[in-house]
Amino acid sequence: MTDRATFLAAVRSTPRGDDPGQPDRLHAPDAPTELRDGEDRFDRLLHECALNSTVVHRVPEDSVAATILAILDEADAQSVALTEDLGARRQALTDACAAAGRDAAAYADVAPNRARAGALDATITGCAAAVAATGSIITSAAGAGRAGALIAPTHICVVDRDQVVTGLHELFDGSVLADVGSLLALQSGPSRSADIEKVLILGVHGPGNVHLVLVDG
Amino acid sequence: MDTGEAIADHVGVPTVVLFPTCLGDVVARQTVTDAELVLVRLGFDVRQARGATCCGQPAFNSGHDGPARAVARATLRALDDGTDDPILVPSGSCASMVRLHWREVFHKTDDADGALRIAKRVRELSSFLAEQSATIASLQPQLTARVGYHDSCHMLRELRIKEAPRDVLRAINGIELIELPSAERCCGFGGTFSGRYPEVSVAMADSKIQDMVDARIDLLVSADPGCLLQLGGRMSREGSPVRTLHLASVLAEALA
Amino acid sequence: MSVREDIGGSPLPDGWAAPAHQPGAFELPTTTFEERAHRTMARPFARRAIAGATDHAVSLTQARFADVDHETLRDQGRQIRAHAIANLPDYLEQWIANAEQNGTTVYFAADEGEARRIIAGICVDENIASVVKSKSMASEEVALNSALEGVGVDVVETDLGEFVVQAMGDRPGHVIAPILHRTKDEVHELFSKMAGRDLPNEAEELTAFARAGLRHAFLTADGGITGGNFLIAETGEVMLVTNEGNGRLTSSVPRVHIALVGIEKVIPRRRDLAVLLPLLTGHGTGQQITTYVSITGGPRRDAEPDGPEQTHVVLLDAGRSALLGGEFEEALHCIRCGACQNVCPVYRQVGGHAYGWVYGGPIGAVLTPLFRGQAEGGEVAQATTLCGACDDICPVRIPLHDLLLGLRRQRDEQGEVPRREQMAFAVWGAVWSRPWLYRMTTAVGRGSLGLLARDGVVSSRVPGLRRWTDGRNLVLERRRR
Ligand code: SF4
Repeated sequence: MTDRATFLAAVRSTPRGDDPGQPDRLHAPDAPTELRDGEDRFDRLLHECALNSTVVHRVPEDSVAATILAILDEADAQSVALTEDLGARRQALTDACAAAGRDAAAYADVAPNRARAGALDATITGCAAAVAATGSIITSAAGAGRAGALIAPTHICVVDRDQVVTGLHELFDGSVLADVGSLLALQSGPSRSADIEKVLILGVHGPGNVHLVLVDG
Repeated sequence: MDTGEAIADHVGVPTVVLFPTCLGDVVARQTVTDAELVLVRLGFDVRQARGATCCGQPAFNSGHDGPARAVARATLRALDDGTDDPILVPSGSCASMVRLHWREVFHKTDDADGALRIAKRVRELSSFLAEQSATIASLQPQLTARVGYHDSCHMLRELRIKEAPRDVLRAINGIELIELPSAERCCGFGGTFSGRYPEVSVAMADSKIQDMVDARIDLLVSADPGCLLQLGGRMSREGSPVRTLHLASVLAEALA
Repeated sequence: MSVREDIGGSPLPDGWAAPAHQPGAFELPTTTFEERAHRTMARPFARRAIAGATDHAVSLTQARFADVDHETLRDQGRQIRAHAIANLPDYLEQWIANAEQNGTTVYFAADEGEARRIIAGICVDENIASVVKSKSMASEEVALNSALEGVGVDVVETDLGEFVVQAMGDRPGHVIAPILHRTKDEVHELFSKMAGRDLPNEAEELTAFARAGLRHAFLTADGGITGGNFLIAETGEVMLVTNEGNGRLTSSVPRVHIALVGIEKVIPRRRDLAVLLPLLTGHGTGQQITTYVSITGGPRRDAEPDGPEQTHVVLLDAGRSALLGGEFEEALHCIRCGACQNVCPVYRQVGGHAYGWVYGGPIGAVLTPLFRGQAEGGEVAQATTLCGACDDICPVRIPLHDLLLGLRRQRDEQGEVPRREQMAFAVWGAVWSRPWLYRMTTAVGRGSLGLLARDGVVSSRVPGLRRWTDGRNLVLERRRR
């Protein structure tokens, strides 16, 4: 086997090509993944979610539980897991689900049993951020686990107003992402494939049903 | 990329040199004749480039720099006649070869300076003609046809000449210019490619010909004899009613 | 694939059993480009599908960047990649240190054989009997699947298209869309055979069938193998994009995650993704962003609810370091978006298989001779018209046209050009470099064509011109009437 020193020596031994230096990062790039000048981040978030088939529910704090129960009803979801990043809301939502006759558990308790995790009907998570320009939900392994956002056919994500960042530049460049642990995950709508004759199918391996509950006011 | 097309400091110079290129000497003689005819009508004194052969592109693009240089050198020395007269090339890809790639071909050779001199003088024909649009219009050219234009790859993507040939066509009364959806897609000629991979090459032509049929054009125009050889050759084999003509010939017919 | 116990929540579809598969062998150097191209071109569906899908992808890409400053974005993308490659040794070491800090075990594969041995070794050492795989071109490069099966590991490709490719014993036809060249009917026939019954011939039902079986595979596999789109030096992370979610599941659900990644994939910082990610996805599928972007940094940490116990990253050289600092270094800037394939008029006719190895289209015509050598892979660099469309679309501005020309030159220098061609150009050079000989030969040429021509058209199969005149006439321009 090639050892590290030999391997790296091969990489080092060659002359270096021209180095143009790091690009100037004073300004956010003008990219499809950024807001346009003067654009409202919430308008854009809603627009992008509509495009990527994420269902957005913009509700005040006191309607969060009822909104989620209605989504679970509609999806006919019985077994539900809730992740750590729901923070203070987690207990209340767990109780609300249980009161509505759902089989609700902490994701941390379900996850060690792969079969059980694989049988979940829905997961409810918080997030580390949401990105307006791409309609993305950002989760971390520390908060939602590595598979928390995509193991079940339905994913419901609770996003606070102040968690919405403009675009990828702000997401990656700023201090938005503190310690995310072993996974920083972006998801933008339901799982999809168009492999078979370019016909778009939602819900291939991940959820086909993604809801973003935007807590606003 | 410095295409240098902006350095048009020859405008108004009455004498021009016409470099037929090898295609012009073998299969596209009429194009050369017509180019000369048009230039004369526009008031230029036209000199044929005596002793010029081929620009060396077939060998250069196949990776054979030695033969490419040998052939290009003969052409360079014939063209380097001590004058400043513009050298007009009725072939987009040959013009591109001389303007952009000769630097590389003659890099660190005795002819490096000569190559630069020639590169500055060489003009793709249609870009030169487009500058004469006003004069052309004043001669009232007339040709009734539904015309599609095919972009030569090297002319479009290396020399960045897109509008010039279209401007010339628009200056002709009676021409209805149709934008073909695949105008910018390669016709499959590619010089030696057309002989190396005939099946692929022909299929590439067919995909464009289908577009022309769909657009119901009756005349296909290009500014590159290579593309015309390919597309015209395939259409002729298939018995297509669409005519193919070089821009210079279209203009010659319209001025006749 | 042996099917183990059924488990709750993931019932196997009736009759589910993947057929035994032999990955299609690489065809280099036993066949020519022309022969391989002919096979695809002889299938009208494949041709139509490839042309349709690639045209569509190009129009999506153009639309995606229509109202942003695309050129500046490409400049930035190029600069990031050029800077990373120019400083590859440093960034690679930084990445390794940070990855190890995260708890990842890092391996060094100088060549393809070593990559296979390392990964097979991990499977043996860690008692891995079954792996799920997420689409990876690097693993195609090293022909990983057959090596794993050789040590008794069951391998299941989980990308829907790759799953079909695997079950058919085929090869992926496109970097981004592996079964571009296959019809729904073919997939229906395959899945029905696997199911032992006639499934509804609808994309949705067929996908659901595959999903159910693959779900079972995810939940039971011991290991997951992925590639990686980028290695992020400042954090020691591996980034992976997928649309189906299989990449995330592969790297998260099984006990062991193994990633095989080329060394050139290193980028300095996470924030470089703000430029590279939209370029990658916008040029790949025309999407603003792929559905799943997973940036993984090592095994499950203590406070985390799930994730692999072990993560292993195998760094693959296999011809890459040899390109550093040389004429072809820019080939290492490639981010494998596939845009050059989509825009290539030759690829549009012949698809990916014609290139004979892993990568197709312009970047395939560049990488194949570079990674397989001129003797074996040199021919595919000839199989382009040098039209330059690839240069114009590449998100990181790789000068593919120049690289192809350079490779043609290199083939000549290394004496790998067929003798006939060599001789022909030598003679041509000697004759046409003398104006009098040129005048003589062109006159003779004109004269003989004139004799062969009828009404100015040479249409018979002329000896020496047969490859031209088989499908085309040689039209000699005539005087106008
Ligand atoms: S060469 Fe450029 S266009 Fe082609 S796959 Fe690589 S990055 Fe994409």
